Amino acid sequence: MTQIISRQDLLSWLERLIGERIVIAPAQSNGLVLFQRVSRAEDIVLDFDNTVLSPKESFLPLSEVLFTVAKENGDIKLMPATVAEEMVLFGLHPCDAKGMAVIDQPLLAAPADDLYQQHRARTTLIGLACSQAGPECFCTSMGTAPDDPSNLDILLTRVNDSYIVQATTEKGKALLPSDLIAQSEVTAPPPPSPQAVPTEGIVEVMRGAFESPYWSRLADRCLHCNLCAYVCPTCYCFDIRDYVDEGGIERVRSWESCQSPGFTRLAGGYDPRPTKGARLRQRFYHKLSYFPEHFGHLGCVGCGRCVRYCPVNIDIREIINDIQKLGAQSEC
Amino acid sequence: MNAENPFIPYLATLLTTADLTPDTKLLTVELDDPDVRDRFDYQPGQFAILSAFGVGEAPFCLVSVSYRGRQLEFAVRRIGTVTNALHDLEPGVKVGVRGPFGNYFPLEQYKGSNIIIIGGGIGMAPLRPVVNFILDHRADYGDLLIINGARTPQDLVFAPEFDTWAQAPGSRLELTVDRGDAGWTGREALVPDVVKELKPSAENAIAITCGPPIMIRFTLIRLKELGFTDSQIATTLEMKMKCGLGKCARCNVGDTYICQDGPVFTLEQISKFIEQF
Amino acid sequence: MQEGLTQQIREKARELLTSAAVDCIIGYERASDGLTARPLFAYEPNDVDKLIFDQTCTHNLSRFLVDKRDSTVAIVAKPCDSRAVNLLLAEKQIQRERVYVIGVVCPGIVEATWGQINDRLQARCQLCREHTPPMYDFLVGEPTAEEPPVEPYHDVAELEAKSVAERQSFWAEQFARCIRCYACRQACPGCYCTECFVEQLDPQWVGIRVAPAENEFWHIIRAFHLAGRCIACNECERACPVNIPLSLLNRKLEKDVLELFAFRSGLSAEALLPLATFKKEERLGMGE
Repeated sequence: MTQIISRQDLLSWLERLIGERIVIAPAQSNGLVLFQRVSRAEDIVLDFDNTVLSPKESFLPLSEVLFTVAKENGDIKLMPATVAEEMVLFGLHPCDAKGMAVIDQPLLAAPADDLYQQHRARTTLIGLACSQAGPECFCTSMGTAPDDPSNLDILLTRVNDSYIVQATTEKGKALLPSDLIAQSEVTAPPPPSPQAVPTEGIVEVMRGAFESPYWSRLADRCLHCNLCAYVCPTCYCFDIRDYVDEGGIERVRSWESCQSPGFTRLAGGYDPRPTKGARLRQRFYHKLSYFPEHFGHLGCVGCGRCVRYCPVNIDIREIINDIQKLGAQSEC
Repeated sequence: MNAENPFIPYLATLLTTADLTPDTKLLTVELDDPDVRDRFDYQPGQFAILSAFGVGEAPFCLVSVSYRGRQLEFAVRRIGTVTNALHDLEPGVKVGVRGPFGNYFPLEQYKGSNIIIIGGGIGMAPLRPVVNFILDHRADYGDLLIINGARTPQDLVFAPEFDTWAQAPGSRLELTVDRGDAGWTGREALVPDVVKELKPSAENAIAITCGPPIMIRFTLIRLKELGFTDSQIATTLEMKMKCGLGKCARCNVGDTYICQDGPVFTLEQISKFIEQF
Repeated sequence: MQEGLTQQIREKARELLTSAAVDCIIGYERASDGLTARPLFAYEPNDVDKLIFDQTCTHNLSRFLVDKRDSTVAIVAKPCDSRAVNLLLAEKQIQRERVYVIGVVCPGIVEATWGQINDRLQARCQLCREHTPPMYDFLVGEPTAEEPPVEPYHDVAELEAKSVAERQSFWAEQFARCIRCYACRQACPGCYCTECFVEQLDPQWVGIRVAPAENEFWHIIRAFHLAGRCIACNECERACPVNIPLSLLNRKLEKDVLELFAFRSGLSAEALLPLATFKKEERLGMGE
């Protein structure tokens, strides 16, 4: 027996949730599907490949005030930002949910990133299983799957005009609209099969490929923008700076990327990673070598956004293939 | 650091500033909250992140030793936006302190060894607390040789302490400059050449060095020539930093985060880094 | 026809590499979707067979010339791309003797994203005024008669006709989506500053905050920095992941420069750049 909710009832439930808390869901914006705050359930897009940006900005915003500095009677007080409101993040695919789990590792490690922790604690994740895999998808090679319920509070899987409802956490179970959920014999259709990418053993092979000229050759066409890191569900690098405005002083953290020229440049001008090749290499080593060696799983979830949006087609799947081949050659 | 939110600095008051060189100041800072002040314990090698509110924050090694007093000292070289702002602060102004961060020199392990300190320019800053710790625990350590170099005599850092260092028992201070001035009667030589000249014995010795990358490069060559093994040489590394917490993913050399796994490393550890700068 | 272009490019590239006339060919190869194109840097004669030229070759390869200014390179250039080469020469960013331009008579580039192409020409190609590159060392393809568009700035004029309030609201909505990835800047051959104003700390013109006001400032100042320089390849807009219509901004300023100075960017490597040139005889109307 499975629990199901009809599409109609799903929209009613979402409308209910919108009345109670902030709901972030995929919605149309200028011909794009982006995660946005929605005020009406009918604005939510239920059938889409994937959003342009991952939902990580709900937990690690593009820009976020860490604290403000208040001056009172010649005294200084630091006022930390807090996350006040309960939120529902609706419609994320399992790859993005896994992305959250990946980012949790460094950000929640002691000492935990307080604001990130608050965002995560106050958000309930309702995911949508994928009914099709895009040509850029490869989540099954990255430790998740189009129907993976882990890392979510609730997973919805579409079956005709209804959705199978799986609540995997207490938080998820508490949110379910018991009046709208029915029991059913319906089973989930087989999930789509994304393309496979040979990630088996990639971490070991990467160790040997560090000095290869492959990286600077690949970097020839890299534009060193931040696009790949910004659309990515698992990239989390950030910058911190103070802002002075009429209202006072704010310390703001914003996304940044290791690809930016000047990412590692010290005051005084010395830059240990001045070349395009070294910067490009850093990104792939972080994802396929350093992160997995430190935390035990790859720093990529196979959502394929970087593949789809990189203006010069730097394709991580191709890189993994190429590095595996390089590794095989050097063994001969 | 603030236990609840590690991005929130402790408030502190800038007590005094003193010129060490034309571009370097010694800033003395006192944490405002007495509980925090008491709990803020650190070892030579560790660093803190100082905030000039409204401008930003940057990491600086702690150049004081914690048991000598609860005031924190930083040697700040004027070189960028935050350091410029810190240099322009008047005593009495509030600053922020996050930390202490990083690992520290294993001075416990070094007991009984002869210690060679080799500093160049502002690189002398993280070495100063090592020197003072050793002098405060003199009987625990063997011979102490301090080589301190700079571009010109005015750029030698911690001049007010040179007499104390030179006159301490079992200790020797060798100063050098790249280029002397009218009043300079001392040595004019590059730091690595002074190492070569003095030929410190590698037997039962630890060499700790910090300075500009090129000075370190050639100093290491000289030390290896004298028979120092990689595990006998320690240094402190520097990378651009933001959070100090291992979260912003910026300060890594390969898979090593300088803010968490460093900044103190032996040459043996550094030689194993996958990324070499 | 495009097979012919590909063949001619490969032959020329092979000749240039084997004779060591250049260190590297910057051209196009098939992308990982098997449909679109991506830049290729060919260093060995063997790599030459990867070169292609077809209607998916959208990138402005002159963007890579400043990176490679210490080498001698050949570049496959569509007419708009060769105008960017002229711009870089006029601004003394590259040396003429270090660039060999394989100019291509361009059939127009189609709309495409990774994994998807269609037959429709990109908007900039529909408005193209020169299908034969204004500068080249070797020409590939047969020049044909030009049929310049009747109203190359029709979409700009449409927006210009709207009220200030309407325009403000339009742009506010567009810039709100910006994530400051700087793909626009990085894709642009005209954006080669070693320190972009947006990265400056002292003074901090924009800072790192991503918010509507800062985003607007970023885009408008960038557009002004490109005024009289932009050659409207529109790679900035193509690279933008959130579809900000940058072409409207850049071509508005292009239109203004044309009206004020009778100048179009990139048609000559010797041109005096209107916004970087001061002539004594220009009356300032200040204290005269």
